[in-house]
Amino acid sequence: MTLIATRPGPGAARPYRFPAVVRRQVAGGQVVAAHLPGQNLAVALLLLDAGAGREPVGKEGLGGVLAKALEEGTAQRDATAYALAVEGLGTELVTALDWDSFQVSVQVPVDRLTAAVELLAEAVRTPRLDPDDVRRVRDDEATALRMDWANPGPRADAALRAELYGAQNRWGRPMYGDPDSVAGLDVEDVTVFHSEWFIRPGTLIVVGDLDRVDLDALGAAAFAGAGGGPVERGGPIEVPTRTGRRVILVDRPGSVQSTLRLGHPSPHRAHPDHMPMMLTATVLGGAFTSRLNHLLREVRGYTYGVHADFGAARRFGRFAVASGVQTAVTAPALVEAVGEITRTQAGGVTEDEVAVARAWRAGQLSVELQSPRAIAAALTTLVVHDLPDDYHARLRESLLGADAELVSTAAATHLRPDALTLVVEGDAAVIRDELVAAGLGELVDHPG
Amino acid sequence: MPDSGYPWPIETTRLDNGLRVVVSEDRAAPAVAVNLWYDVGSRHEPHGQTGFAHLFEHLMFEGSVNVAKTEHMKLVQGNGGTLNATTNPDRTNYFETVPAEHLELALWLEADRMGGLVPALTQETLDNQRDVVKNERRQRYENVPYGDAWLRLLPLLYPPGHPYHHATIGSMADLNAADLATFQAFHATYYAPNNAVLTVTGDADAAEVFKLAERYFGAIPGRADIPAAPDGRTVPATGRPAVEQVTADVPAPRVYVAHRTHPYGSPGYDVVTVLATILGNGRGSRLYQRLADGERIAQPDSVGAYGVDLAHAPAPLIATATARPGVTGQRLAAGLAEVVDELATVPVTAAELDRAKAMLSTQWWRQLATVEGRADALGRYATQFGDPAKVGERLPAWLAVTAEQVAEAAAEVLRADDRATLTYLPEETS
Repeated sequence: MTLIATRPGPGAARPYRFPAVVRRQVAGGQVVAAHLPGQNLAVALLLLDAGAGREPVGKEGLGGVLAKALEEGTAQRDATAYALAVEGLGTELVTALDWDSFQVSVQVPVDRLTAAVELLAEAVRTPRLDPDDVRRVRDDEATALRMDWANPGPRADAALRAELYGAQNRWGRPMYGDPDSVAGLDVEDVTVFHSEWFIRPGTLIVVGDLDRVDLDALGAAAFAGAGGGPVERGGPIEVPTRTGRRVILVDRPGSVQSTLRLGHPSPHRAHPDHMPMMLTATVLGGAFTSRLNHLLREVRGYTYGVHADFGAARRFGRFAVASGVQTAVTAPALVEAVGEITRTQAGGVTEDEVAVARAWRAGQLSVELQSPRAIAAALTTLVVHDLPDDYHARLRESLLGADAELVSTAAATHLRPDALTLVVEGDAAVIRDELVAAGLGELVDHPG
Repeated sequence: MPDSGYPWPIETTRLDNGLRVVVSEDRAAPAVAVNLWYDVGSRHEPHGQTGFAHLFEHLMFEGSVNVAKTEHMKLVQGNGGTLNATTNPDRTNYFETVPAEHLELALWLEADRMGGLVPALTQETLDNQRDVVKNERRQRYENVPYGDAWLRLLPLLYPPGHPYHHATIGSMADLNAADLATFQAFHATYYAPNNAVLTVTGDADAAEVFKLAERYFGAIPGRADIPAAPDGRTVPATGRPAVEQVTADVPAPRVYVAHRTHPYGSPGYDVVTVLATILGNGRGSRLYQRLADGERIAQPDSVGAYGVDLAHAPAPLIATATARPGVTGQRLAAGLAEVVDELATVPVTAAELDRAKAMLSTQWWRQLATVEGRADALGRYATQFGDPAKVGERLPAWLAVTAEQVAEAAAEVLRADDRATLTYLPEETS
């Protein structure tokens, strides 16, 4: 057998291309579009400043209930007729919510885009919000969250978030709320949230073959009947730093794995270190060959996978490591993870590691940005974070220019191994003593 | 109706060693997708070796003669690419999407593990990846409510000895028993060029890819006697329903109703695909309208129906729903069965049919919106139907399905006396 032993080098590099971005003021709102010539599918996404950060404390989950209630009939038609109209175009109303925005979108063959946007706007601007329907949707959402919270993960995530940011703050509570917060919502909460945040024009993102799309008509449909201006979004939130590690044990009797969530607060999205922090997390736990995945999966066999990232919203951020490990190795897995974070903070990263991380992140900007949905998400980032049209091209250049010194400095500055909260959701009866013996920090049993 | 569901060019060749090469050029993005379908899946696994095809897939990332352990992932990601692999009952696929200038690297890596895996395979690697796979099983099947539904449905649908009887993840006992020699033999048997299809889509032209394929794969010898999996095309109806009830730590009763239908790619399965969309895809579907909205016995987010696209035996159609608070599993099961039964008796309207076809069209184009989606589709059609160009026939076939065909298919394959029903009930709380 004669396999070729020598690894081939790269061919001629292609120039980087992000689709041309078109911005236009239409009918009191903003349209931001990208041209994908020849694409059969198009995406339209209405972006509203109505993220979870706009929900009052104690009303967590309001946006999720409203999202579902939008499809329970409009001023023009009942729920069934609405579903048939939307699905008859071959699409569905897709809603999404994060801390900074509420998004509702459709994806259709391009010749049906205008009709789909008209239906989207009908639901967003003129939902029926019949009180009986709203109450039923609220109960269904509470049940859906109860189902979700029966899985490992949501309780650990909530415990970590409360510990990092304080449960007295909206951002210290789960983004989608919890079963009890949703069950406690009333009809007025939903109708008031709608009238306050869903009537403002927002931004319409459009991605597709723009030669076959009338952006003015789409904008007119999306912004018809809208009114009200933008609202102050607030600056970065000061999050107090904890000193000393803490272990929070969330009991899950009989669990064959322990779900791990390790984290501490970190800077908001607009922080100048955003890019090197991204590379720090990539080296530590983002890429497959990252330090944590290599150690815990490929060397120790403790887990199917482990992941680390700096998550950042407009007003706050957090560093987090997530994994599921076999129950019997819970304590050693935690010790190894904390050890690796500590080493990375203190000793920095190597040039070889940064070379992989920067090339991967830069390559993703070509490889991942192909479909209309992916491009729409990229445009959403531009709008939510006030970034320029050439942001992705510039990000790519800055990634490729990053070196070990830059990333090591970010690791030293933004990783705080001694301030980590370690949440462990697992079989407390089996793992509690070991966790105490591991001496990673004060152990607290999570109530409930 | 569109003439074709695949408007991009397709060019093919076959190397002397039997490797089929498929290329579909598209210069829209500066990226290429490289995809290999190996015609081996869990259907080939003998008794006592369940989970081996999938565990083997893991071993393919652990180094080969010219690629050190961990280097495969590092080289792909370190050159800007994404990569993964999956195993199902039918086949194993490996794929990466890379910036176009790294096409040759991806081909070199794939050739090295096709032709040179065995010498690099060690006991240490096997033991490590066995632990990883056992953790995958815990994470995806054992530690989540209803996580083992698929593991339970398969033996209800397919009798012992049938290639789809056992799940791809395998059993813990079999995984524990896996030895190195078996995996060395597994590679020698199935990872031959004449048992694979190499597909490249995106920013590359066919002549260049054919030349590179010959350079990197051309010297790997073919294998004449690749054993076939057991034939599963005929599954005799038992004439009595299969029923399983599980009491477990789940938050609400949930019911799965499953039927064997037709193999993926057959005209009968095209009808089933449309039928499944009418039955359980979207808020306009019958299950949603009847159980979530109408009688309000099911949680709205929980109802659905889908075919599992398997090509080597009658493929499953699965319908499922989860009970609203206060609704018993029994009532939900009766409601679900009633809606399924009515597909044969209550005619499908033109609006229902049009809705399903519109949704399937969007779904089809969504899958083909990326070069990796196209590469996988071409690899499938080349492997399972002998010609990648047949990919273009699927969408028109769906769009040609009639209401009468849906009713006939329902009467034929959704019979209550040939139905598997799996019900989960929450444990009694004291």
